[in-house]
Amino acid sequence: MPVGACSGIRQAIGRRGFNLPGAITCFAVLAVWEVAVRGGAVTFDYLPAPSAIAVALARLVLSGQMFADTVHTLSSALIGWSAACLLGIGLGLLLGISSGARTYGMATVEVLRPMPGIAFLPLAVLLFNFSLQTELVVIVYPSLWPVAMNTMGSVMDVGARLHDVGRTLRLSRWRILAKILAPAAAPMILAGCRVSMGTALVMAVIAEMIGNPHGLGYAIVREELAFQPADMFAYIIVVGVLGIALNAALVALSRRAMPGHFGRGSDRG
Amino acid sequence: MAKTTSIFAKLPPLRGLLPLILFLIAWQLLQPRQSPYFPPPSAWWTSVLTLLRDGRLMPALGSTLLTFGAGLSAATLCGGAIGLLIGLSRRASRTLGPLLEFCRSLPPPVVVPMAVLLLGYSQSLKLLVVTWAAAWPILLNTASATSQIEPLLLSVARTYRLTSTDTVRKIVIPAVLPAFMLGMRVAVPLAIIVTLLVEMLTLMPGVGSLIVTAQREYHSAEVYGLLVLIGLLGFVLNNAFIVIEAKLLRRWPPRAHEIT
Repeated sequence: MPVGACSGIRQAIGRRGFNLPGAITCFAVLAVWEVAVRGGAVTFDYLPAPSAIAVALARLVLSGQMFADTVHTLSSALIGWSAACLLGIGLGLLLGISSGARTYGMATVEVLRPMPGIAFLPLAVLLFNFSLQTELVVIVYPSLWPVAMNTMGSVMDVGARLHDVGRTLRLSRWRILAKILAPAAAPMILAGCRVSMGTALVMAVIAEMIGNPHGLGYAIVREELAFQPADMFAYIIVVGVLGIALNAALVALSRRAMPGHFGRGSDRG
Repeated sequence: MAKTTSIFAKLPPLRGLLPLILFLIAWQLLQPRQSPYFPPPSAWWTSVLTLLRDGRLMPALGSTLLTFGAGLSAATLCGGAIGLLIGLSRRASRTLGPLLEFCRSLPPPVVVPMAVLLLGYSQSLKLLVVTWAAAWPILLNTASATSQIEPLLLSVARTYRLTSTDTVRKIVIPAVLPAFMLGMRVAVPLAIIVTLLVEMLTLMPGVGSLIVTAQREYHSAEVYGLLVLIGLLGFVLNNAFIVIEAKLLRRWPPRAHEIT
């Protein structure tokens, strides 16, 4: 998946401070929704009013239920993501540094990479039952590839340009890796990790919907089946906010770690 | 990665399939006797053949492909058109921006239970959910590329007194096409995932429900076989799209950071 392919419309439009018309639109949509539901203008049986969703959200937060579910989803996504980053960087380094590994492995990677991660869900359920392992299988597999591909691409790119410098300075293989490859490839690897984070969260929610009856994904399906639309929408909002927060946290972290590479507006990777 | 003239020049050597093939052969030969969890690849093959002979595979595959194709087409049309309109008007993009950002940040899968609750189980539900999920990358990419068109290009259009239709046709669309295709490249795998997810969650006919049913009935060979089938499907669809993209964008300059 190309990195930062949908890096937001925000960059194009949101630089001029507070966006009043944008905020008004959001409120207008909410107000129309509220009035339409309260006034009976909408015929859907299970469309709650925004106020009802807000009440449900407050109730779920206060009861601690929301916190528990969020912690479960977040921790599985983070565990899976860390594993995917480690495996992906390892695989990417191998493929990027060794041309032999590319010759005798790249085609396999190209066949395995487009496999939809969700297709592993039934298999994982078969092998691990409805458990955290099932969830992790489904998270790690698709999150691995953006990291691996970015690592490979950047190592090859850097390798061609800077490897000779290292040779000229008579650095050892490990010194070249540590002093030249790692720092030069890090920004792109981090960008891959950021893409993976989004994938990991989405896959965690999917896995919880079908494979592991815990967390936010399961809660959404549970409330749907229990015909509790307000609760369901409250959970959906939390999932959305979680995604935004995680991405923002990673952007901030990468800027802190590498100030030169992630200036304002250049966070497309 | 460098853009090459021939699509096939980019293909990795076929020798690279060796690890996969060796792995499968080893599995076939070393399989634990009668293991219910790790049936040998030959059993995968026979179970898929059985499905085919029972007449269950083809309808499911057709339904899945139809949902994917129709959903992606609708997403392309809606996403492209709305993205273009939003990108062309500064006011529209400012007014709708925050709302669009929020809608995009909703993970596509959570839309499935929401749509089921509102619309009930139906074929149109599948289509709507896939369209919704696949439209966002296309829409936002198109909008952001449209709003960043080099102002000089638009001045040229004004100098030549082009009508607004001609401006869009001759200047805007060619300028936006690469970004639009990039959005589609994100949308294709997304559409596959969401199609399968809807089928798994609602058990409406399709490959997704077929594989979940196989898992529930403990037909492990069938699960493996369908997994391979879905993998092939993803491989063919993604690569078909990459070929189309390369053909379509032949005369465009290569992208600055081409990472696939």
